[in-house]
Amino acid sequence: MTAPTLTATGAPAGHVDRPPEGARRTARPARAREALLGLLFTLPGLAGLGVFVVFPLFQAVYLSTRGNDILGNPTRSVGLRHFHELLTPAFGTVLWQTLVFTVLVVVPGVLLPLSLAAPMTQRLPGMRIFRTAFALPFAYSVSAASVVWLIMLNPGVSPVNWVLGLLGLPAPNWTTEPGWAMATVVGVTVWMVSGFNLLVLAAGLAGVDEEVLEAARIDGATGPRQFVSIVLPLISPSLFFAVVTTTLTALQALGQVQIMTDGGPNGHTRTLVYSIFDNAFHNNNSNFGLASAQGLVLLVVGVLIAVVQFGVLERRVHYR
Amino acid sequence: MRTTLRRVAVGLSLAALTATAAACGSATANDDAAAGGTEAPAASALDGKGEVSIDFWHAMSGKNGAALQQLTDQFNAKNKGRVKVNLQFKNTYDDTLSAYKAALNSGQAPDVVQVYDIGTRFMIDSKSTVPIQSFVDVDKTDTSDIQPNIAGYYSVDGKLYSMPFNTSMPLLYLNKTAFTKAGLDPANPPKTLDEITEAARKLTVKDAGGRVTQYGFGAALYGWFLEQWTAAGNQEYCDQGNGRDGRGTTVKLATDDHVKLLAWWKKMVDEGLAPKLDSNTTTADNAFTAGTVAMTLESTGSLGGFLTSTQGKFEIGTGNYPKINATDAGGPIIGGASLWVVGKGKDDARKRAAWEFVKFLADKDSQATWHTSTGYFPISKGALETEVDKQWVAQRPQFQTAITQLQNTPLSKATQGCLLGAMPQARKAAEQAMQAAVLSGTDPRAALQQQEQAMTGPIKEYNQSVAG
Repeated sequence: MTAPTLTATGAPAGHVDRPPEGARRTARPARAREALLGLLFTLPGLAGLGVFVVFPLFQAVYLSTRGNDILGNPTRSVGLRHFHELLTPAFGTVLWQTLVFTVLVVVPGVLLPLSLAAPMTQRLPGMRIFRTAFALPFAYSVSAASVVWLIMLNPGVSPVNWVLGLLGLPAPNWTTEPGWAMATVVGVTVWMVSGFNLLVLAAGLAGVDEEVLEAARIDGATGPRQFVSIVLPLISPSLFFAVVTTTLTALQALGQVQIMTDGGPNGHTRTLVYSIFDNAFHNNNSNFGLASAQGLVLLVVGVLIAVVQFGVLERRVHYR
Repeated sequence: MRTTLRRVAVGLSLAALTATAAACGSATANDDAAAGGTEAPAASALDGKGEVSIDFWHAMSGKNGAALQQLTDQFNAKNKGRVKVNLQFKNTYDDTLSAYKAALNSGQAPDVVQVYDIGTRFMIDSKSTVPIQSFVDVDKTDTSDIQPNIAGYYSVDGKLYSMPFNTSMPLLYLNKTAFTKAGLDPANPPKTLDEITEAARKLTVKDAGGRVTQYGFGAALYGWFLEQWTAAGNQEYCDQGNGRDGRGTTVKLATDDHVKLLAWWKKMVDEGLAPKLDSNTTTADNAFTAGTVAMTLESTGSLGGFLTSTQGKFEIGTGNYPKINATDAGGPIIGGASLWVVGKGKDDARKRAAWEFVKFLADKDSQATWHTSTGYFPISKGALETEVDKQWVAQRPQFQTAITQLQNTPLSKATQGCLLGAMPQARKAAEQAMQAAVLSGTDPRAALQQQEQAMTGPIKEYNQSVAG
């Protein structure tokens, strides 16, 4: 892969706007050198992609067809048995719960910050404090947030239950009632993603041109109409970004599930990534074969979601 | 074109992210041909080696970690120029074992590793350790000081595989103040399920709005408790004599006693005598120390923390671990964690150094320090006779219950505890059944049968995997 071999490749003969002979001779090696340079610049990226994406992908495919010894080393080939093991109602439930979890996180996780960000763009005194306060959950690590919320909802010492008591409301079994457990894990995840989404959406809103809004006002578009028809399309790139990143976060959620419910009660908060973790590392498991098979399912799910988001949603995004 | 490119690029990276999640646990096979033997080297192995530095992976955090550090410093000071132990904290027991497995594959294993009781069978099968018995035989060490019930757990075919270190057993904890207020005698705590129900009815307090402010009973749906209940009934938890006559093939989950226990637990919740708690013991502990539940089940290791966090609020009493039936004649298993000397890929000097350290941690003075600063049960009989220990127990009469309970527990296969390669998974399966029955209202027998069935696959796979 040296320059001379590249210059040796023949150029299309009947080129119309062929430059004068002398110029051409210098331009061709220059272009080749540019191409080589480009390749050189992408090399670190490609190497990274190869080591961290392509290789693990093939490794996952390989592992998914193997059994494991007690130390987790791949052993004999088991063919498609691990995939066959996925054709159970139990795994169907896991997929269903993953879907429910993702939808319940993404929709409020984007709408809530949006509704907070809209009034926050008003230039009122003290808004900065509110913005910082609302964006704060972003600074929490997953495990810290999960532990803090677990204490907040602990039946023995819960301040949340105390407030509910003052209002005369019964305190639910936050993490031990199947439906509530999912709601709790979802709620904490929404709380965590909201801070970041708020920053993104507020930045998007701040970038909306006053003049456009004024023109719309003159044309008679005010209030909700203005928000839906003018502001939303203008911030749609930020909105789309928030939706995509939140989907990814929700799809990969592990810490909050593991710490808050450990997949329970009785598996009702088991999601796909939790299931992968469980099979590969939890409780002295080392079923990397089954975990890899599930990982490939996650890959397919991820690709499907990407196709929908980028094929359907992004067409409605208005880039300036 | 621009958007298409971006679409493809972002789509690809999305796929890539998920793909890495799929393969992040790719284990690299590494057959260490030069695996060290399992014979124990004699004391001379350390001669002329200078200072041998060894690594110890443990899972002791907070107060317990500090106590371990103190003991290690003592050992290092005593053995200056000969042995130096480096402590490495590896988070939870589960994480420590995961890390150990990965380390065996990559040849980065520590010299001493602390493993929870339910990892015992796995550690033996990993063929990576030197049995403690080999050292004992070489040195002709007197092991009569080790509590027989504790050594029992870690002994297979009369051979002690690992050195018990931090051990505990479960107790019934009571809120003494609440007991007195309800007209009950805290000196005479409930002994059976029925007696717990009876006491709980008197202990449950509701406010004017009908909301429960104090539940009579509340404990985590922790798999360990189920194992303890089984042993208290002198029953075996898995077949093949609790996995001690041969490899266990089934976990006996769907037994009449377990059905009775879960039905009872569900009824306690339905009657409003117990809150709905999951398998997280921290949550249950907080409920007890906050005064929300008046009776709970916990390990002896929690006594110190309980006493500190309830100081000035209420007094704590203890009772024997309750029995399912009044006639049950067993006693709790004494579990916890033990120390394993790693042999795979280690030279004699390191193995010997590891043994010296393990021996030091197990002697009566170390155990007295360990017991009094952590609350774990001392593995050494002699430790209980030391002045420092006697004083400590005198100040905490609640601990006397544990000592008496241990002395009254007959050593049998049932109270030795179940030895199973897939024991960590089995504990999780038991918790699933407990949660299904108590929290989701599944029929107890059906829930237990389902999990018992679900465990046969993993157990079979494990047994096949180590057989050939």
